[in-house]
Amino acid sequence: MKRSWLTVIAVVFVVSSVLAGCSGNNVNNGGNASPEPSGSPETTASADPTGGGKTFENMELEVAVFQGGYGREYWDAVADSFMKDYPGTKINITASPQIAELLRPKIVAGNPPDFIYLPQGGDNQPIIDGFIKDNGLLELNDVFESQGENGTPIADSILPGVLESKAMSPNGDGKVLFAPYNYGVMGMWYNKNLFDTKGITLPKTWDEFFALNSVAKENGRALFTYQGLHPGYLEEIIIPAIFNVGGKEALDQFFNYDPEFWKSETFKKVFGLFEKIANEDNALMNGTVALNHTQSQTDFLMGKSMFIPNGSWFEDEMKDAPREDGFQFGFLGVPSFDAGKPVMALTSVELFMIPAKAKNPELAKEFLKYLYTEKSVKLNGEKAKAVMAVKGAPDLVKEYISATTYEIFKAVDGGMEALNGAFKTPAQGSKFNPGDEVYQPLSSIMNKQMTLEEYGDKLYEVYTNIQKEYQ
Amino acid sequence: MEMYRQVFLLDRERMVTAMSTKMKRTGFILACLIPGLALFSLFRIYPTLQIFHKSFFMWSAIGDEPKFIGFKNFVDMFQDEVFLLSLRNTGILMLIVPVLTLAIALINASILSKSKLRESGFYRTVFFFPSILSFVVIAILWSFIYHPSIGFLNASMELIGLDEFVMPWLGHEKTVLWALAVTMVWQAAGYYMVMYIAGIDGISPEYYEAASLDGASRIQQFFSITIPMLWEIIRVTIIFIINGVISISFILVSIMTAGGPNRHSEVAITYLYGQAFKNGNFGYAMAIGVVVFIISLLLALLSNRLTEREAS
Repeated sequence: MKRSWLTVIAVVFVVSSVLAGCSGNNVNNGGNASPEPSGSPETTASADPTGGGKTFENMELEVAVFQGGYGREYWDAVADSFMKDYPGTKINITASPQIAELLRPKIVAGNPPDFIYLPQGGDNQPIIDGFIKDNGLLELNDVFESQGENGTPIADSILPGVLESKAMSPNGDGKVLFAPYNYGVMGMWYNKNLFDTKGITLPKTWDEFFALNSVAKENGRALFTYQGLHPGYLEEIIIPAIFNVGGKEALDQFFNYDPEFWKSETFKKVFGLFEKIANEDNALMNGTVALNHTQSQTDFLMGKSMFIPNGSWFEDEMKDAPREDGFQFGFLGVPSFDAGKPVMALTSVELFMIPAKAKNPELAKEFLKYLYTEKSVKLNGEKAKAVMAVKGAPDLVKEYISATTYEIFKAVDGGMEALNGAFKTPAQGSKFNPGDEVYQPLSSIMNKQMTLEEYGDKLYEVYTNIQKEYQ
Repeated sequence: MEMYRQVFLLDRERMVTAMSTKMKRTGFILACLIPGLALFSLFRIYPTLQIFHKSFFMWSAIGDEPKFIGFKNFVDMFQDEVFLLSLRNTGILMLIVPVLTLAIALINASILSKSKLRESGFYRTVFFFPSILSFVVIAILWSFIYHPSIGFLNASMELIGLDEFVMPWLGHEKTVLWALAVTMVWQAAGYYMVMYIAGIDGISPEYYEAASLDGASRIQQFFSITIPMLWEIIRVTIIFIINGVISISFILVSIMTAGGPNRHSEVAITYLYGQAFKNGNFGYAMAIGVVVFIISLLLALLSNRLTEREAS
């Protein structure tokens, strides 16, 4: 009897120690070389620990990156290259499409990685906002003041206006908290082949845009479609259009929750576009509201609609999708309301950041500087097919990106008005998600279930409530 | 005397052994139970208690300390239009889906087990099939069935001349919930059908024989024999499916409609998820979780109570 007791105890002990092992691993996975529980970890060890170059107290760097449309190849390649140039260093890369979910517990536990790349928006935005609210990031001004490879400060090689923008210096106090990675350009797209062969001229104004409806009908397609289930894509039209009508003032009202925006002429003119699209025959592709982004984009490629809003990732995103004969991507941007003003485009920049609680901030900063070298920008073009927000980047990576993508970035370089902006972070604990509040009801306008006035009144109330929460 | 003592000793010994056997047995049972109980408390009870606790806080779950705000989350909730809409949508689904699913499952089960259909084995497999598919696959499948231009549903309606009724089912405020409900019924009916078939097979055939000798029709047999004899199983399945609707609706809504159009298909759990993971509002999200928990508990109790009375 005694013996069997021992067995039971032994079994219980074994079981519990196995469990403890599991949980210990989960809590502690930010530690040195312990592999991540998910998100395809890859640990690359340096082969040459003795070489020259700079030395750091801590030679190991934990890097966490979002694995989205740009993949992870660039990160593996640039880490290898960095480890070759800085012998003895070791970079561990964790890449995952759900990187926000992997980061959250580590950040809460006060054990963040040394270097993070996240795009704005979606599931990542709360992490970014959380860092801003809690002063959780290292100031990066010294990185940009330091000299780059050609002897000038790195700041001089970044696209003008980016470092000073609200996206990079969110507190408006000159402290740069985020560093720019790829930039994207967003606006409306068309089938270049169709326009060229039929001799259709591109609309420069909204009047010309709506005039094309009859041409669209002749060619057996609707004028416009968008990513129905995700009406947030319409911001690619709305933000430039607001700037076009009401200038920076109106855009500030819109982004900073001034309720009066929803009573302004700017509102009526800009959002009136969608009411017009909803009400005019053949303007909105049938069933658009029920389609997700892939379905509506496929329909566009198949020639069911003349225009669709999307970003510079479009071509790569849809590379396997079927399309009508001779389809060629063409980028229009966003038409203007008056003939005199230029066509516009919305831009977005993705973010690098170094948490204040990083274990190895020195090496993280060195790594960040390295990412702005010509070698890295080219590598990024080759592996991620993307363009970093660095002067001359489109030309550096020309051979790797498609002609269309190159054209878009050159167009923005050469005079198309580029805009950047985001909603102010609502008060802590706010239940409002400004993007949802503003863009979701557009489905009802497109369905003719809601009028422009009802929409304006509703948003007036929402903005008033968001303002109240700040107090 | 010597003999006496002997007997007495033996008796005592036996008593001691009996007691120690009993103690050992209790100890053994405890040792078997403790690992399971420990895991259950750690991964079920503890998180549930945490949800109740954290629902009184304002907490973004990034770096800030949770801030105690009492019942504010709950008060806010009932002034939050989107939450109320999502609760209404959940309620509608919880009303439509269980009734349709269980009715269809019962009818199918009794037809398949009582009629002498030769293909009944085939039908049983076909009806059960959706239950072994993953919910994600079902959601993608049905979002193509409802696809406004290339979808099976609209195409076949056009084929039989119902052109004027064709519409973007998932894109319209008035049809989206029904479209989701049909998907849920399709998914669940087979599963409950198999449960009912097992139940019906357990009913003694003599009842049916006697009833048919007395001239009872099939429909009378269904209402007077099948349903009363299955009553206990039906009670259990009602509770299962109410809980099922809450969890399945999350997956279907996330994939098929993203809560659209204009939140007319938002359900409580997708709104909870959005508040937690898109809005960084964990305290509020947990308060929503508490309300959903209480509502489903009440519904389960209520249905149990109501059906009990009918049974007796």
